[in-house]
Amino acid sequence: MEGYLIAIFISILIYLLLAGGLALQYGFTGLVNFGHVGFFAIGSYTSALLALKGVPIPISLAAATALAALSAYPLGMIALRLGGDYLAIVTLGFSEAVRMMLQTEEWLTRGMHGLPGIPRLFAGWVEPQKTDLLILILLVVVCVGVFFLIHHIIKSPFGRVIEAIRDNEVAVRALGKNPAQFKTRSLMLGAGIAGLAGGLQAHYLTFISPEQYVPLITFYIWIALVLGGVGSLRGVVMGTVLLVGFLEGSRFIRDVIGGVSEVQMASLRIWVIGVALICVILYRPQGLFGSSPKRSR
Amino acid sequence: MTQPMNFSRRGFLVSGTALAALGAFSGSAFSQSEKVFRLGALNSITGIGGPYGPYMLEAIKIAVAEVNDAGGAAGRKFQLFAEDDQTKPEAAVLAVKKLIEINKVEAVVGIWPSSVGLATMPITNEANLITMNTCGAPEMLTENKKGLAWMFQASNAIFGSAFAEVARQRGFKRPAVMAFNNSTFVGQANHFKESWEAKGGKVSAFVIYEPNQSSYRTELSRVLATKPDVISLSAYRPDATIILKEWCQSGQDCKFIMPGWTANEDLVKALGKEATEGIISISNVAASQSPAYKRFAAAFKKVANREPDIFAAQSYDMVITLALAIEATGASADVLAINGKIPSITSGNGQAVTSFTEGRDALRNGKPVNYNGASSRLDFGKHGETVPDFGVFDIQDGNLVLKETIPGHTPA
Repeated sequence: MEGYLIAIFISILIYLLLAGGLALQYGFTGLVNFGHVGFFAIGSYTSALLALKGVPIPISLAAATALAALSAYPLGMIALRLGGDYLAIVTLGFSEAVRMMLQTEEWLTRGMHGLPGIPRLFAGWVEPQKTDLLILILLVVVCVGVFFLIHHIIKSPFGRVIEAIRDNEVAVRALGKNPAQFKTRSLMLGAGIAGLAGGLQAHYLTFISPEQYVPLITFYIWIALVLGGVGSLRGVVMGTVLLVGFLEGSRFIRDVIGGVSEVQMASLRIWVIGVALICVILYRPQGLFGSSPKRSR
Repeated sequence: MTQPMNFSRRGFLVSGTALAALGAFSGSAFSQSEKVFRLGALNSITGIGGPYGPYMLEAIKIAVAEVNDAGGAAGRKFQLFAEDDQTKPEAAVLAVKKLIEINKVEAVVGIWPSSVGLATMPITNEANLITMNTCGAPEMLTENKKGLAWMFQASNAIFGSAFAEVARQRGFKRPAVMAFNNSTFVGQANHFKESWEAKGGKVSAFVIYEPNQSSYRTELSRVLATKPDVISLSAYRPDATIILKEWCQSGQDCKFIMPGWTANEDLVKALGKEATEGIISISNVAASQSPAYKRFAAAFKKVANREPDIFAAQSYDMVITLALAIEATGASADVLAINGKIPSITSGNGQAVTSFTEGRDALRNGKPVNYNGASSRLDFGKHGETVPDFGVFDIQDGNLVLKETIPGHTPA
């Protein structure tokens, strides 16, 4: 029982890190990033490949964060001069390009065969049954740290500028600030966080393959953000907990209600999420825990 | 928004309590009984495995019903817990943890993709669980460190070299290779190439294509431009349908060698007799001939209204094999003892049996048995892999006609 709960919480926390990064990009800077999973994938593969070469895990995780952040830089330079919708397409294309690269560059990534036997975090520290608990504790620490950081960034002068960019880019430019520069930094920060999440997941699962990094992951995070409320950290946290909690919890609905086959449940799960999303947008467009939009009219 | 961290902590607490309550509730719904064997089915109900997973689960249910109706294995009835792995490793990890921790299963059957098999193996090994899968990745054999995993599908190395063998026997000179980009099919394609080139031939084109496209014309024309006389097409039904349709439109003459789970009556139904005429379809030999298959297929048609595919037949065999192993070890045996019996009830000189009741009766009379399943003879190698004989079928006028049988062997 505890082992399963721990696994669920690990899953929630990894998604929470991803959501945190996207919240910074979209919720606070207004960047429509549809390619978040690309940074996640870069982080996973960087950390996994380095660790498989014998690099200590903390260093490989740091490299994963750095490389994911750096990969956002050229993207930012090219794309952030474009308007919001164009950025969405470019980022989506980016994440698909990353996945294609992981599939085809077999010399590096082993392609579709995936990478088995990735060193597990804390392996050998304690008995195998306990490592999950240590991973959970580490993730809690990392999440608290990251959200604390995001909170501070938002409250800093930098945060005020990015929020201003989100609300009225022309006004920011009129004040003599260069929005592209701030947007690039925000994109890189969010990407770095996603990369860290990817690295942590690789060292938890011990097996990764390109099929794991499909755009669906990006959109799960978007769903979490929209459900919870984009412009608030509290909303991000609650949205993620609700979504992942529901995805996992729905396994038990079947045990309790009965009469629903696993095949039907799989469809029902997606259906419920869809309905919830429509309802939220109809009746509470700012999200369940979001504040009213401050956007100027 | 002034105190975001506070709320997140509260969020964890609330959802944690809710989940714990749910877990406790579901736990109470199934009372533990010493007379049952708790069996987990981990199938790819959604995701890429969607065309196969639901039928695998159906096959598992048929086998479970068969064993339970016969009074259980060594008196233990199967209690089935099914989960969807979404054909994704990370979802599978959660699902398998749920099966282990909440449902307390003793074996997991029906794992379809290698990615799920590889991601869940460390967990099931640690919990000492028997797992039965249809994974074809060679790493499955090396990662099977405790000998608890059983591969019911021939590894893609064996499949690939069988394809090459057939192409050679049929006298083809310029084979081309086309494969769906996943671990199983890329492996198959690579082994075809290796095995063909080892005997001094050349592959005219080698194309791996990305799945989920609405057209494969670019890939197909690259292959057809090299004028192959046969194409080894490692594909699933949706993409094979499109590729064959586009090949028909091209009007170029050439043959196809395809795996049996794609080139079958369903494909004929989708494409018509003309487009599928002469396709060479290769599958585990027992498939359509054995009594086990015929009995299973009849039961399967009743619920699913169609012929079972090879994965469904393999899933059925998983449960029957497990049941016979339990029967052979006795009601009080533990999982490791049951696991140890699996090789001896599927191979050797025992009485050949094709159903659970037949095997059970022989075992009760003290005779050794050799289960020949609905999917193959099921003789396991030392890493838990099946090495089946392959049946080579031609599609003639919309029907599969068995032409010859070739022995499968593990390439060096």
